[in-house]
Amino acid sequence: MLETLRQAALVAVAGLGVGLAGNALSPRPAPLGRPVHAAAEATAGACVEGSSGVPAAPIPRISAQEAAAMCAACTAGFVDARSARDYEAGHVIGAVHLPPVGHPEEAAVLARLAALPAVIVYDDDTSCALAEGVARRLQQRGVREVRVLAGAWPAWVAAGGPGASGACHLCQHGPEASR
Amino acid sequence: MRERILALLRIGLGAAFVYAAVVKLPDMAAFAEDVANYRLLPAALVPAFGSSVVGVELLAGLALVAGVAARGAALVLSGLMLAFVGAVSQALLRGIDLRCGCFGGAAPASWWTVGRDLFILGGALVVLVLGPGRLFPRRGDAG
Repeated sequence: MLETLRQAALVAVAGLGVGLAGNALSPRPAPLGRPVHAAAEATAGACVEGSSGVPAAPIPRISAQEAAAMCAACTAGFVDARSARDYEAGHVIGAVHLPPVGHPEEAAVLARLAALPAVIVYDDDTSCALAEGVARRLQQRGVREVRVLAGAWPAWVAAGGPGASGACHLCQHGPEASR
Repeated sequence: MRERILALLRIGLGAAFVYAAVVKLPDMAAFAEDVANYRLLPAALVPAFGSSVVGVELLAGLALVAGVAARGAALVLSGLMLAFVGAVSQALLRGIDLRCGCFGGAAPASWWTVGRDLFILGGALVVLVLGPGRLFPRRGDAG
């Protein structure tokens, strides 16, 4: 019995070390120095425009139709706040991936976004909790014109907005897709 | 015969945990998001806890496959599975709609997940109580 407990302690402690090492070697490591919040707790706010009884959201909304027009005119960059898996499955053409947990190339992505006339953030939930959190972070890092996509990713798809996993051919000088 | 069945159970169990860890390694940030969505841990602890879970799954899984410190690994994995059963159950009872995060991918957590985890817990307890078994008989046992 004592031997089993000793083995278990050894496996647990060594496993902890292996996990931290594995995280350090992972292409998308968990940010050890930063808190990771549940998606639903990231922030509140109505994603769908005109919903009654909900406090006014601090980040302005933009409809999918307006956003698609700005994408076609290359006057806005897009930020995908969903998980890497969702991003890979399909995203707004030319969108950069920037989830609430951040990623290693975040500084470079932010520098490029700050140079754009407008940035539109979206997630896949009509509460827009993830997009709100990322949009606030962009504002804090110096991106001036930030909007959240009303109706989130489903609205973009419903509006027939262009989606892909490659670089945006409509926005040659805009941000390229990054994972 | 019993020893061989135990050994096969141990190896199968270990392989499942190694697989569960290996599919999470390429995207540890996504697994941290999955852990956070259970809303059980302080946000500051989520990344380190998520990383540790993957490491323990990997190491304990390898230990079971190799038959080294197998009882200890089975004890650790029993505790882990008990924690998973509790975490998924509380999320379902609280009406939290979330991804399981168990084997990577986007599979949603459900009562089926709880049942599967209980089944794996049962396997780990068998190895813990009855021992790691033996795939091949000891020299001399056959004669």
